Amino acid sequence: MKLFAHWELIKHLTMREIKARYKQSFLGLFWVILNPFFQMLIMSFVFSHIMKVQNLGVPFPIFLYAGLLPWTFFANSISNSMSILPENGSLIKKIYFPREILIISTLLAKAFDFALSTIVFILLMFWFHIPFTAYMLLFIPLFALQFVFTLGISLLLSVMNLLYRDVQYLFTLILTLWFYLTPVIYSIDFFPEQYRWIFKINPMAVFINAYREVLLGGDAPNWASLGIGILVSGLLFIVAFSIFKKAEGMFADVV
Amino acid sequence: MIAWIYVTMYTIMTHEHSVIAFSNVEKYFFLQHQKTLKELVQALFIKQKTLERIHALKDLSFTVEKGECVGIIGKNGAGKSTLLKLIAQVSSPTSGTATINGKVAPLIELGAGFHPELTGRENVFLNGVILGMKESFIKKKFADIVQFAELNEFIDMPVKYYSSGMYMRLAFSVAIFIEPEILLIDEILAVGDTAFQEKCLQKMNEFKKNGTTIIFVSHSMDTVKNFCDRVIYLQEGKILYDGETKKGLELYHQK
Repeated sequence: MKLFAHWELIKHLTMREIKARYKQSFLGLFWVILNPFFQMLIMSFVFSHIMKVQNLGVPFPIFLYAGLLPWTFFANSISNSMSILPENGSLIKKIYFPREILIISTLLAKAFDFALSTIVFILLMFWFHIPFTAYMLLFIPLFALQFVFTLGISLLLSVMNLLYRDVQYLFTLILTLWFYLTPVIYSIDFFPEQYRWIFKINPMAVFINAYREVLLGGDAPNWASLGIGILVSGLLFIVAFSIFKKAEGMFADVV
Repeated sequence: MIAWIYVTMYTIMTHEHSVIAFSNVEKYFFLQHQKTLKELVQALFIKQKTLERIHALKDLSFTVEKGECVGIIGKNGAGKSTLLKLIAQVSSPTSGTATINGKVAPLIELGAGFHPELTGRENVFLNGVILGMKESFIKKKFADIVQFAELNEFIDMPVKYYSSGMYMRLAFSVAIFIEPEILLIDEILAVGDTAFQEKCLQKMNEFKKNGTTIIFVSHSMDTVKNFCDRVIYLQEGKILYDGETKKGLELYHQK
């Protein structure tokens, strides 16, 4: 990969995404933080006061937030990646640069959002007196792993959506289903035992469980299921990247 | 035998000097009749055509030497933009070889790399790195770029407030500071006021004198006549005429 040669391009495209958004609206970057924050408040209210969730070991708001932030990164990265190629059609037709740069910078811009929302998360950790442990540092490689997984899916779907522009609508539906099959708003213990294998093969479930284990449980993640996550992410990325590179040659013809 | 060696040697030698060498280039691409999955499924049911192979370029062979200024003319759909895409290397030939020696700079269509929310200054950097310039190089040339575009007072304003003339001036100014070896110009001079057009033509003449190869695609036969020493006349993907401008234009007007 010649990505190092293009790091300035990656940097500027990422900044374009970030700057354009905060210039567009009055509250700008605050939306990035406020959005998941309000989502967390609403859901916390619903689940802890109306549905009465119990026995999570930690307060529900922070439990929810630890799942909601990675999920928001995942869902937003994919939906933005799917439209980035058609949006930059006039560039693709005129000038060559490795096209995965467009996808990578989309994800980096979303990673920036993720980092911003993390600040609120840390404040919440203080608020709820969650002890800080060395295991929390595992959060960084975990995010890297989730990044690779998200990148794999984004590369694949961006190509599909370039060919058939309604793939994005179809995938929005799938994403809704996926959200409920991932322990974002609930803990896996609430799920019927005979269906829990779903969480073993769903990498997003693996990641979110691992985030909670290292951040809130103050414990090591479940290495066995994380191993599956690494394997799936790696394989998916390799397959997706080679498909993307094969298809790249015709982007200028179909965009 | 000797003649054959001579011809081969000659081809090799000339190709070494040529900045652009096309030999037996064929370009097919698939035209998708359905742009969405929904349409595709419907089409499969009623057995409609889904993909159509388009023969865009047929057996193209030509070379362009350093410093030549070549106009590409032809009716709509003759393959002009496909040819330009091959020279810009955003698309690759189906068979045959297209060799390009040197840095290619496309004059991107109005603001393709621009973002309306970003300021002129931010867009200069964004567009510059997209065109393959180093950030440090743009910094060095920044004052010249702004001065050429005559946008000194407006450079820190979001480009969404620019008039189309200002937009184009900025885009053009960034592109000419790239110091390309091959400059691709696609109708960009059609916009903007006459004074600036004059200035651009002057700049392009300067390029010509300095030995930059220029590929010029235009529907304005006057500009082609004044500017190009050679034209390639395309019709239905084939070269109908390749030679001096005057004769090429005569042929074009006869049709």
